[in-house]
Amino acid sequence: MHCNMRGDRASVDKDTTATTAPGTGTATAGLRDHRYPDGTFAALIATPFVTAPTRAALQARMDKPPVIEPRFLAAGEFALLGAVCDHLLGETGERRIDVPGAIDARLAAGTTDGWRYDALPDDGSAMKRGLAGIDETARLMAGAPFADLAAADRERVIAAVAAGDPPGETWRGLPARTFFEDLLAAATESFYAHPLAQEEIGYAGYADARGWQAIGLDEREPREPEPVAAAFATSEGRP
Amino acid sequence: MSRAPFAPSDEVDAVVIGTGAGGAPLLARLASAGLSVVALEAGRALDPARDYARDEEAQGFLFWNDERLSAGRDPVAFGRNNSGTGVGGSTLHYTAYTVRAQPADLRLKTEFGVGEDWPFDYATLEPYYDEVEATVGVSGPSPYPWGPPRTPYPLKPLPLNGAAQLMQRGCDALGLRTSPAANAALSGSYSSDGTVFRPACHACGFCQAGCATGAKGSADVTWLPLARAAGAEIRPECFATGFERDAAGRITAVVYRTPAGEERQRCRAVFLCAGAIETPRLLLLGGLANGSGQVGRNFMAHTGIQVWGQFDDFVRPFKGIPGGLISEDTHRPADADFAGGYLLQSIGVMPVTYASQVARGRKLWGPQLRAHMRGYNNTAGINILGDCLPDAGNYLELSDEPDARGLPKPRVHFTMGENERRMTDHADRLMRRIWEAAGARDIWSFPRNAHIIGTARMGTDPERSVVDPDGKAHDVPNLYVSDNSTFPSALGANPALTIMALALRTADRFLAKRGA
Ligand SMILES: Cc1cc2nc3c(=O)[nH]c(=O)nc-3n(C[C@H](O)[C@H](O)[C@H](O)COP(=O)(O)OP(=O)(O)OC[C@H]3O[C@@H](n4cnc5c(N)ncnc54)[C@H](O)[C@@H]3O)c2cc1C
Ligand code: SF4
Repeated sequence: MHCNMRGDRASVDKDTTATTAPGTGTATAGLRDHRYPDGTFAALIATPFVTAPTRAALQARMDKPPVIEPRFLAAGEFALLGAVCDHLLGETGERRIDVPGAIDARLAAGTTDGWRYDALPDDGSAMKRGLAGIDETARLMAGAPFADLAAADRERVIAAVAAGDPPGETWRGLPARTFFEDLLAAATESFYAHPLAQEEIGYAGYADARGWQAIGLDEREPREPEPVAAAFATSEGRP
Repeated sequence: MSRAPFAPSDEVDAVVIGTGAGGAPLLARLASAGLSVVALEAGRALDPARDYARDEEAQGFLFWNDERLSAGRDPVAFGRNNSGTGVGGSTLHYTAYTVRAQPADLRLKTEFGVGEDWPFDYATLEPYYDEVEATVGVSGPSPYPWGPPRTPYPLKPLPLNGAAQLMQRGCDALGLRTSPAANAALSGSYSSDGTVFRPACHACGFCQAGCATGAKGSADVTWLPLARAAGAEIRPECFATGFERDAAGRITAVVYRTPAGEERQRCRAVFLCAGAIETPRLLLLGGLANGSGQVGRNFMAHTGIQVWGQFDDFVRPFKGIPGGLISEDTHRPADADFAGGYLLQSIGVMPVTYASQVARGRKLWGPQLRAHMRGYNNTAGINILGDCLPDAGNYLELSDEPDARGLPKPRVHFTMGENERRMTDHADRLMRRIWEAAGARDIWSFPRNAHIIGTARMGTDPERSVVDPDGKAHDVPNLYVSDNSTFPSALGANPALTIMALALRTADRFLAKRGA
């Protein structure tokens, strides 16, 4: 089976997320861990709880082969985008959801999401310039291209870009903070649209052909599995 | 009575541009009065059962995805945050909150000396509110706890989901009154006069990605079937680009693009209902109705800050209509340091929407993002819907960057004023207290501005407004505007119900003058 994954292990890389935690972002992490067992999506998608158009859309997303040859970005830019997405999405395993491929496909098709910050150039130019900026910042801060850096150095570079004041000439013409916000949002949206990422957060909302009766607090319907990890996570994100 | 289909060379009584909240009710009214009417709709005709997936990404086609440029200090997000397309317009993806404005909302200037008064009062709108609520099928509490007494809602309230129960818990603790909200989603199967039979809401929670069952009162299952039955013709994938006029300035035809090429529909009157961005954009492109210089001016967006928390309780926030609970106790808060007020609404949320807001609002990435998202099922939100003052510095203009259709992209400037900032701060403090009282942890705020309002405002003074109180352009004898752009002030209420009510009134005023 093809799976919309880069690499070859057929599940989201789940375990790294709770262990390696270079300090990121501004605040504490989630308090609960509501991961569903592996195979929840595969089992639910085949049931009459999923409507035909829903099944078609989700199965297509699952089955989509990973993009090897980018259509919009150059090969080097695409590899860099892959390294950046890995870092932003905490993906360190061998198989990853093909977020860079989805981003490249959207840029190649020229489709937009209906708006952009006036301070940024068009999506394609912003992406090319922003990626060049990340590599420039990586060289200036850590002496090597981003993809060659260890996790801790990658984190320093990303944090500098996110904070809006990274070193590098490229950023003179491109507001780093705004670029970063758009990139992080695009990567995050694409990631959590994937059925296996949705499995990780205990989402079963696609299995609603017959609607929901148990909608109140602490109510669960039989088709919603028990989470494998209903334990509390600490504010460091460790279960 | 003339009936569809019409030929472009037929001179029809009216062309309606856009089939959303402002266009659809009016189309039904004009057709029911026996007029020959053609609606031009840029979006596609959709069949919910066949075309709608229960999936956020797959439903992206419901949104207006032509690129707009967002400028100012508080740039407004468009696309899925604000504008839809398709036969039914933004009602296809609206959450279906159908809040009435309160009488005081229409008199902001009289009450506070800022903003604008509307050119008529609540009593003018009231019968239209009643009619819209009956036609789209609103489920809500009767009696309603706030505002003047009203006709009972046609359906009882919908059940409360987890987020609504939590907000109730927090508000109870603080002594704030709450109530199940009024929603155009059916708590029982329903059909009003002449509309199709629709099943009860099954609580799938996908309202913002399109209702596949027909339970939600979107235009495609309410006003538009009425309009068609009365002889209206609705042409999907027809994008209006301009107008032909005679020497006296009357519009004689609407020019539009179809997948097969350009057409022109001859007509006696035009109703522009393309929404508060596309309406002023078309007027500016055609140099029309702008003697006042007000076209595109006074762009407003409701203050809409959201406060999220994570709870020990399992919320599973994808279930049930997203907005189950309301409080209007903050309509005129006693300790306010601002004009106007806001209302509080509980919010459920789908995972991609929530993840996107976490990315933009929290800037979490890597392991922290993943850990936060694993708490999705324990997440609930509250947001406000607050008034926004008109400001000449917030405006829409045509940029010199062409879009995919070769037309200039609109650039929209928006900066919150002092009043919006104070209201947002007030609401932020209150909602955090509500969530603390309800037992939330990891509380965070996501400031945002929602809905696109103003840009072709209504008024009696042709120097200061674009259309008169009937919706007729001051400068063009046979051009009317009916959509969110005519609002002189934003109102402390979600807009769709008022847009629909106003659409019926505009149609009635037109018909009355025509008959006279
Ligand atoms: C996610 C979301 C949730 C919402 N929830 C609520 C809610 O709960 N309650 C509420 O009151 N409001 C809600 N709204 C807002 C509400 O949907 C809008 O305020 C309302 O639909 C606007 O009505 P309108 O007639 O101005 O424009 P629209 O409904 O957007 O209709 C405009 C129509 O014109 C068409 N059009 C545009 N340009 C052209 C052209 N050149 N030629 C032909 N056709 C054209 C468009 O395709 C569209 O169909 C929500 C909006 C969003 C985005
Ligand atoms: S929750 Fe109800 S109204 Fe909303 S989309 Fe689902 S069935 Fe339709």
